[in-house]
Amino acid sequence: MSKAKIVIFRNVCPRNCYNTCSLLSYVQEGKLLKVAGDPQNGYTQGKLCAKGYASTEFVYSPERLRFPLRQYPRGSGKWQRISWEEALTEIAEKILELNQLYGSNLAIAYNKCSGNIGLLHYAVEGMFNSLGAHTKPRGNPCLAAGQDAFIYDFGKALNPDPEKMADSKLIILWGVNPAYTAIQQIKFINKARQKGAKMVVIDPIFTVTAAKADLYIQIRPGTDGLLALLLAKILVEEGNYDQSFVLKHTWGFEPFLNYLRSNNLQDFLSQVSHVTGVRPEAIWELASLLADSKPCSLWVGFGLQRNTNGGQNIRAINALMALTGNICLPGGGAYYLNSNLDYFPQNLLNHQGPGGSHKQSRQVDLNNFASDLLNLKDPPVRLLWIANRNPLSQDQNLNKWRSLLSKLDLIVTVDLYMTKTAAMSDLVLPAASHFEEDDLNLSYWHHWLTLNQKALPPFFEAKSDLQIARELTAKLNKLSPGFSNFPFELTAEDWLAKEFTPQVLKLYGLQNWEELKDGPRKLLQADPPWAGRTFLTPSGKFEFYSAHAKKNNLPAIAKFKWPQTSSYPLRLLSPQYLLSIHSQSGWLSWFEHDNLGIVKMHPADAAKRGLLDGNQVKIFNAYGSIVRKIQITASVPPGVVVAYQGGEDPLNTLIVNAFTDMGANQNGTNNIAFYDVYVECAKGR
Amino acid sequence: MLMLKQLGFLFNADLCIGCRSCEAACINENKTPAGVRWRRVTPTSENSFLSISCNHCDSPECFRICPQKAFSKQRDGIVMIDNGLCDGCMKCLPVCPFEAPQFDLRQRKASKCIFCHERLKQNLLPACIEACPTEALQMIDLNKEIPEGSVRTIPGFPDILLTKPSIRFYPSQAGKRYFIQD
Repeated sequence: MSKAKIVIFRNVCPRNCYNTCSLLSYVQEGKLLKVAGDPQNGYTQGKLCAKGYASTEFVYSPERLRFPLRQYPRGSGKWQRISWEEALTEIAEKILELNQLYGSNLAIAYNKCSGNIGLLHYAVEGMFNSLGAHTKPRGNPCLAAGQDAFIYDFGKALNPDPEKMADSKLIILWGVNPAYTAIQQIKFINKARQKGAKMVVIDPIFTVTAAKADLYIQIRPGTDGLLALLLAKILVEEGNYDQSFVLKHTWGFEPFLNYLRSNNLQDFLSQVSHVTGVRPEAIWELASLLADSKPCSLWVGFGLQRNTNGGQNIRAINALMALTGNICLPGGGAYYLNSNLDYFPQNLLNHQGPGGSHKQSRQVDLNNFASDLLNLKDPPVRLLWIANRNPLSQDQNLNKWRSLLSKLDLIVTVDLYMTKTAAMSDLVLPAASHFEEDDLNLSYWHHWLTLNQKALPPFFEAKSDLQIARELTAKLNKLSPGFSNFPFELTAEDWLAKEFTPQVLKLYGLQNWEELKDGPRKLLQADPPWAGRTFLTPSGKFEFYSAHAKKNNLPAIAKFKWPQTSSYPLRLLSPQYLLSIHSQSGWLSWFEHDNLGIVKMHPADAAKRGLLDGNQVKIFNAYGSIVRKIQITASVPPGVVVAYQGGEDPLNTLIVNAFTDMGANQNGTNNIAFYDVYVECAKGR
Repeated sequence: MLMLKQLGFLFNADLCIGCRSCEAACINENKTPAGVRWRRVTPTSENSFLSISCNHCDSPECFRICPQKAFSKQRDGIVMIDNGLCDGCMKCLPVCPFEAPQFDLRQRKASKCIFCHERLKQNLLPACIEACPTEALQMIDLNKEIPEGSVRTIPGFPDILLTKPSIRFYPSQAGKRYFIQD
């Protein structure tokens, strides 16, 4: 062992994940020896998930991309190492050629998502804005419907502090599996349980979290809103709701009440029980817990809004929480996500093109990206830049993607690994890991802010998105002076400093941003966010009835829409798996990844199809087919199959034109109904 | 030999969520090569788990069988292995009920959990215990105090009679469950 000094840096995991763990990197002579959780983060408390502890493999994997690569022909696998100079020159010359041809940069597009959610990764957007009008995506594939539901009801999606869940008497985890996706939250839940709180899990899948619950209720996917409405009806009819709260602090209770009263209780109960699959005794038990246990924290996962009724589901559940007054109680509240990012100026995202010209950009739906791009003419898009994303695994309409990619002149992908998408690109640029760049990260779940320090020299020739933006800009401006107004002279530290407005410093109790080098900081906020009983809706109250929703051609009150029917009998759910996030980290060799190749099916469904445990099955619908190994288990309900995202044979092949009911209000477009997908399974390939 | 301590593990199956942080933290700390897993999380059913490493047994079979006397038991109860003495005969592998000795094919030697004894000297917990986000895995000294209500074994755990492993358990408890009826 070398005697050289070990230096400890502060880093933060930049994955699209509830946990956003602060970590410490032990670095010796520029090499990452190991990582540890940073005990100064009061939420993550010095712990990491398995993927986080595998950081040295993530950084030094033999699979990691080292140099810029050119592939010719596209998709052939014939790769040639090129220099950054060659790569940037080729890209810059193409941009300038298209600009000359069309007199604008509209033939140039990018696609970016949540591969790294650090603030400086908005350098991608900043770099494109700096070109003036171009073709840019808008929308959020993941959680927009639920976010809109919170906006219609509360005025904004504002989480209570999840650490305060420890003070709840009743914790309802609705369609969320923190044992896989938010392991840092479990300790706060357990703390409440040690004080006598009950934990309820409502989920179609009997998850690890469900196995730990005091009460587990299995429900048919997408029918959550109906159960919530029935619970609301029971509470109202039995007088078990917070009448004074409802009277003073909510809007539109009458029409909601009338809607609830439009059915006879017994009829509605048997109807709901039939549709949701939840037995009446479970419904009564849950209703009585809701009536008797306060404060109650209710956490809705992202899954139950990933269907055509998603936003309505969340609105119905929110209504239940308002009815019981829990939304304003310390230790209670409706959890979904926070909006802490809004406090930051996000200078790179909002960087203005020359004379504001980027505002003339063509906006295309991120969730219908390939189709929309294929339809663009005058000019067509001919250059596509992909960063922080693996659309050939994670977007829908993959066949459209394949046809889009065959039509483009130049596809550039920036990534750490040879993803499905990188493998179909002309140029692949090696991206820096979070250990090799400066950044700033906050969680969309907890309230901590962490500085990410550059702890390591670049892995071979890897560069950060910001560094790439700086160098490509310099190249463009050298070839065509003044072509881009990206301030390429600004360093990562300059951009970091710019994020700390006086308001941000005050919100986090900081004198200056450098204080974050001493450890992560927590947002100083009153909790719960609605303790003052003033909401950000037009009425200033919680809105059972939302004129805002009505204006957007949605029902004014939470209404349940009967699910679509399909000629394919099985509903495919594709939740996150423990050891990967979307298509990321599914290859880490520290773990076996058997789960990526399996599909879970209920014994009755398997018997009907003559399938045996371990059989190879084809999962198919009108759009395509994938192959998985079957795992027969009663943890999934009849009529539902579960498979995991990512891997060599992405299940998104089966997802086409599936959109939720909300999302456009805040994010411009509705998100993808990833869980409204119907399939059939048969033995063989 | 007089044991001053018998360090061991307390595993609360009710708190374990199978997240495998302990397993990864062990590799992160000890730099064990591919295929060598000093700690492993294994399912006992679809949604319940065991996390097992060397249990630093009271009567370690590895210690008894090793022709090279590579294993020793420290006065704090930790079973150590001397890498220099191991000649790779592999006799310790099948006799351990917990698959604690792991064979490193490149070095052609056995290795196993040594309770992060260097960390203990610095007053740090073993890496696996430090990593556990739910405190399902804890360190105990069985000579000092047997945790109240803990049991010697739980379903799925290998035989304890032969080696007397230094581990105690809290079993998992099932809640009320409503599944959709066919």
